[in-house]
Amino acid sequence: MKRLIGSLALLLVICCYLAGCEKDDICAESTPTTPRIVLGFFSRTNHSEVKPVIRLEVFTEGSPDTIHLGTIPEVSLPLRVDATSTKWALTYNRIDGSTSTGFDPDTDYLEFKYTTREEYVSRACGYKVLFTLEDNTDLLPNPVLSDVPGDNHLWIESTEVLTTNIENEEDIHIKVYY
Amino acid sequence: MKKTYISRSIISLLLLLSFTAFAQQKQKQPQAKPADTAAAPVPVIPVKKDRYGIRIGADLHRLSRSFYEDGFTGIELVADYRLTKKIYAAAELGNVKFTVDDAQVNFTTKGNYLKVGFDYNAYENWLDMENMIYVGFRYGFATFNQNLNSYRVYQNSALDDIDDTTTPVNYFDEVTVNTDRNYSGLTAHWVELIGGVKAKLFNNLFLGFSVRLNGLISDKKPADFDNLYLPGFNRTYDGKFGVGFNYTLSYLIPLYKKQAAPKEAAPATPAANK
Repeated sequence: MKRLIGSLALLLVICCYLAGCEKDDICAESTPTTPRIVLGFFSRTNHSEVKPVIRLEVFTEGSPDTIHLGTIPEVSLPLRVDATSTKWALTYNRIDGSTSTGFDPDTDYLEFKYTTREEYVSRACGYKVLFTLEDNTDLLPNPVLSDVPGDNHLWIESTEVLTTNIENEEDIHIKVYY
Repeated sequence: MKKTYISRSIISLLLLLSFTAFAQQKQKQPQAKPADTAAAPVPVIPVKKDRYGIRIGADLHRLSRSFYEDGFTGIELVADYRLTKKIYAAAELGNVKFTVDDAQVNFTTKGNYLKVGFDYNAYENWLDMENMIYVGFRYGFATFNQNLNSYRVYQNSALDDIDDTTTPVNYFDEVTVNTDRNYSGLTAHWVELIGGVKAKLFNNLFLGFSVRLNGLISDKKPADFDNLYLPGFNRTYDGKFGVGFNYTLSYLIPLYKKQAAPKEAAPATPAANK
């Protein structure tokens, strides 16, 4: 009888513990969710030479939110999940107050065109969206490189798509030559 | 969510305690008699006859929850049939419609379930007492469908601005997608380990409470979604475990009486004192 009551109590405790369990309620940061597109910057003369961009600034077309980044060899940019294209502006050597390095700052646009598909992750993380870049052809280049209207100087020379499947952020997806 | 679980458990426990106390009070009076007869053994030994029959009832918890909780409608019918002195065949039949509104997903589960198994009564009843403290085992089966009402795409689009010391916020707004995607023809199998009590209120009316630890054997998952809630099994934790309880009011339909076996009649009193 004592043993029975003991085991019943144990069962009750386990049940209460499990009922209050919330460990799957928070999406862990290590869980792969919607990936960003990873751009790597390389030299235009030597395509295998990493060339960090000085004082990079990024923003999406039409958005007032500009993001100041450091001098970095690669950048991960989020893509809109509710659209099939995202146009990011990349400014080379932005002006920080009075800082001047002798080069003029220059802004170019890179527009990424893609299709989306969602994938279930877990209760806490819900769904993630994966991207497949549209084909890059001469007639319809992807990403589309363009300049700020009126400014006739591109700092980016060309791009090279390494993979069209944007499923994780482990490797560079697109090489940017300048 | 956690809060409601705890308060629900506490209320149930309190109710259970009050009822068991109530049941015990009622039984104190007849207990006086066997003590007298034991002190002065006379030929007139009360013949202990156990009632056998089918007991049917309903789960009060699911019934009341249908009223107080938005998004939940459910009913569970319970039945047991006494096979031997201690063993009962038992079953639960239920229907659930439950809408879960989580941070990332909102879905509605709709379906039926059936659980069959046995209860083993470990409680030594005195005379005409018919209470149970039991352990049980069930095999559960459910057929259901999941309707994904909406989901939020999990996207961390925060960019760390080196000139901004505040925590970066998402660059893009989070996107909620309203779908109305139905996944039907889903099934699940599981086993349950049960502990519970049943107390006779009066005549043929019984009040019972049981807690259940559920272990999933298999389930047919929807493509590109998951079974986050299973009818009868309840919420799935790490996919494999669930917990449940019920709080039943049931009525015994007596079918026949059987005299307790003479072997058991003699040592019944010392055994009960253990």
